[in-house]
Amino acid sequence: MLGLPSEFTPDFLARLEQLRIKTRREYAGMGKGAHLSPKRGSSLEFSDYRHYSPGDDFRYIDWGLYGRTDKLYIKLFKEEEDLLTYIFLDASASMAYPAADRKFESAVAMALSLAYVALASGDRVMIRLLAGDGERLASGFVYGRHRIVELARRLNAVRPAGRLDLLPALARELVSIKRAGKVFGAAAMDVTAVQILGGLEISGQGIEGNVELVDAETGEHVRVAMGTRSRQQYRETLLRLSREIKTFCFKRGLHYTLYTTDRGFHDFFIRAATELGLVH
Amino acid sequence: MGLLYPSALWFFAIVPALLLAYLVRERPQRVTVSSVLAFRALRALKGERPWGRPQLDWLFLIEVVILSLAVLAMAQPYVVRKRKPLAVVLDNSAAMQARTASGATRFDAVRARLAATLSGEDAGAEVTVYLTAPRPHQMGEPFEGGAEARSAIGQITVTDAPDDSDAVAKLLTELASGRRFGEVIFASSHPLAVAHGRIRTMTVGNPAPNFAIGSFRLRREGFGAAALRGWLTLANFSPQPQTLKVAIAGDGKPLANAEARVEPRGVVSVELPQLAPASVYHAELQPTDEFPLDNVAYAAAGAIKSVEVLFVSPTPADADGLATLAGVKLRVQSPENFSPADAAKADLIIFEYAVPKELPASNALLVMPPGGDPVFNFSVRPADAIQIAGWQRPDPLTDEVNFRLLEPRHGEFFDLHPWMKSIVNGNGGGLLLSGMREGHQYVATGFNPFPYLGRQNLPMSVLTLNVLGHLAGLGADSAGYHTGEPWLVPAGVEKVILPSGEAVVVAPGTLFTADTQQGIYQLVGASGDRRPRVTNLFDLAESDLEISVPISLRAASEEPGPTSFTVSSSLTLYLIAAMLALAALEGMVAYRRRRRALEVYP
Repeated sequence: MLGLPSEFTPDFLARLEQLRIKTRREYAGMGKGAHLSPKRGSSLEFSDYRHYSPGDDFRYIDWGLYGRTDKLYIKLFKEEEDLLTYIFLDASASMAYPAADRKFESAVAMALSLAYVALASGDRVMIRLLAGDGERLASGFVYGRHRIVELARRLNAVRPAGRLDLLPALARELVSIKRAGKVFGAAAMDVTAVQILGGLEISGQGIEGNVELVDAETGEHVRVAMGTRSRQQYRETLLRLSREIKTFCFKRGLHYTLYTTDRGFHDFFIRAATELGLVH
Repeated sequence: MGLLYPSALWFFAIVPALLLAYLVRERPQRVTVSSVLAFRALRALKGERPWGRPQLDWLFLIEVVILSLAVLAMAQPYVVRKRKPLAVVLDNSAAMQARTASGATRFDAVRARLAATLSGEDAGAEVTVYLTAPRPHQMGEPFEGGAEARSAIGQITVTDAPDDSDAVAKLLTELASGRRFGEVIFASSHPLAVAHGRIRTMTVGNPAPNFAIGSFRLRREGFGAAALRGWLTLANFSPQPQTLKVAIAGDGKPLANAEARVEPRGVVSVELPQLAPASVYHAELQPTDEFPLDNVAYAAAGAIKSVEVLFVSPTPADADGLATLAGVKLRVQSPENFSPADAAKADLIIFEYAVPKELPASNALLVMPPGGDPVFNFSVRPADAIQIAGWQRPDPLTDEVNFRLLEPRHGEFFDLHPWMKSIVNGNGGGLLLSGMREGHQYVATGFNPFPYLGRQNLPMSVLTLNVLGHLAGLGADSAGYHTGEPWLVPAGVEKVILPSGEAVVVAPGTLFTADTQQGIYQLVGASGDRRPRVTNLFDLAESDLEISVPISLRAASEEPGPTSFTVSSSLTLYLIAAMLALAALEGMVAYRRRRRALEVYP
């Protein structure tokens, strides 16, 4: 439907509408919104006092303070602005394997779900691809929930390809960001990292006996003899690597969550909302 | 265990060479994965180098085993086993159906004794089982061990057929004299006339009184008559005179009763006149006894209500006189239009100046047949003047014929015929021949009686009616078929339904041997038409339970037979089977691996 992923059922969209993006800090936006901004503004959130100057609105004079100090002070409030949300999507060749796991399709669905949450709550979204092949995405922010269709169409045209050294690539992208905001994908900003692994990839199915393995990105060859014990050893190694990524994220104050494609997408997204940096 | 070609084991030397080649040339399946990071931790395949440690993938081990089995198969291994040869001759003839004092049949009693004896035989015995009825024959392949033989014997059923004492004696003589068997067990109701060192007898059944029907025949009262006349032979095998009663039913309806007093070990004939028409007749003897099989008999009649005559002639007008006879249904056909299927529908076929292209499946009269035909192969000599020179008497064909007044004007003489005998002779050779082939009666005449059929020429009319009555009546004679005697399948018959209801597909002209049951056999034609054919025991020697004829061996050797022999069994076939099974297993596992890999990593 409209090029949206099959996961975007009416029920799921209704549940996404109830979610909002949570930030641990206040960031300046580009327009009016629902997130507190470090700017002074007209929200109900008190920010500071300043001396009264002629021309100030009498309604904001703190008369209680005048009674105690015999001086006129004006109450200042915080501004509420929209949140600039950045989503970085790994579109390197490794996302295409194993094909049966449909990891890239799951990653696209995850990115679009997060984008929809942001757009539905009036925030601005920018999706950037790390590697990949196909039509390049527009570099600007998109605003308004109807733009989700455009994002979906563009992401559908992307094919995972190329080699990606994630941390340097991500660092380059973050340095290029001029306005701080919420970052999904993998910084001095509020960052949530979502790792996607294939269910078959974790179990090691499809690899049996004497096999020559080829790295989808680097082309490196490794010959293994996969048996029951080897498969168990592989599985443990993969989970240990995943735990190391999690530890890395936590040490740097990043949100982290792991999605395996053999789990139900809807169920995972709603249950993992907190870990994804979302609130109801 | 031994090897027929031990030198073939040298081929084992190629196994390490092939192993090395395998490791050097091994091309493992290539799979692209998202990252090899997690796989690096695994033990790498050392077999990348020829001198590397061999990879113990169990598929590879299977291949090594297959190769080893192939080398072993080339050496042709065999095992040698010792066997104790034992023959069992089991009497399954009709008399074994007689009940013993315990209530069990003789067959069940002897089978129980055999089972007890065979259970004492160890697994090393090789038991060959022979059955006596309907003819002595070996039952399948020898059985390995007493248990297998016991199980097979348990499946045998007793037949309604008699056995042939001479043939059984011949079989026992061969088994006892040959060097194949160390011991022969003869399980029968017949004792051995003289004991033999190698034959262990297992005789069952004490002398018992028995009453039996020895024959049951039917004939028409006269040519074209609807009613039949029956003859029964009754036998009393008991020490007391006995009044035997017999009840006749036709197609299930009671028709007649008769009785006769029969002296001890006597046989009488009972006549049953004017039996109403029926398809199948059933006779039942009273009092009953311990051998019920011979207390019943069956007889089948052909077409009863009218005699269907097919007249095949180039001059159809000759059949006019025949058409005037009562009870005759006449069809006339030219020789060109005659087909063998027509024969099955007629009780009697008359070929005038013609012969069929194959032996007809009905009784037939051949009037002045042409000579040299391939079916009957008549040799004929035309004659302008014929005089009767002699005739056989008594004979149903010549009965009440005044040959002095019989003056056939012209015709042909028959030379000597291979299977038809001359009944009436003329001054230049045979004038009337009669013979039987494949259960059917054939008569050939060297003159044409049909223009004279009627009162104008009484001797010729009497002779003609004798011939027609003989040929039409014989079709209803039930004396022809005995249990266990093979018969030729008549033309047009495609299937025979046994008394048990089982259907047997047959080919016309072949021997039918599945007639070991007494009762009614249905001969089914291509169009589904059925003709009953009855088969009876009718063997008074088999029915005589008072005196069981001892079997006399024919100068059997008294030399002891072999107590054991060795059997070499080749193991090559087993090895090939194991190789094929392992190859199939390997192929299946390799296919499943590849398919699973393609599903996940296409």
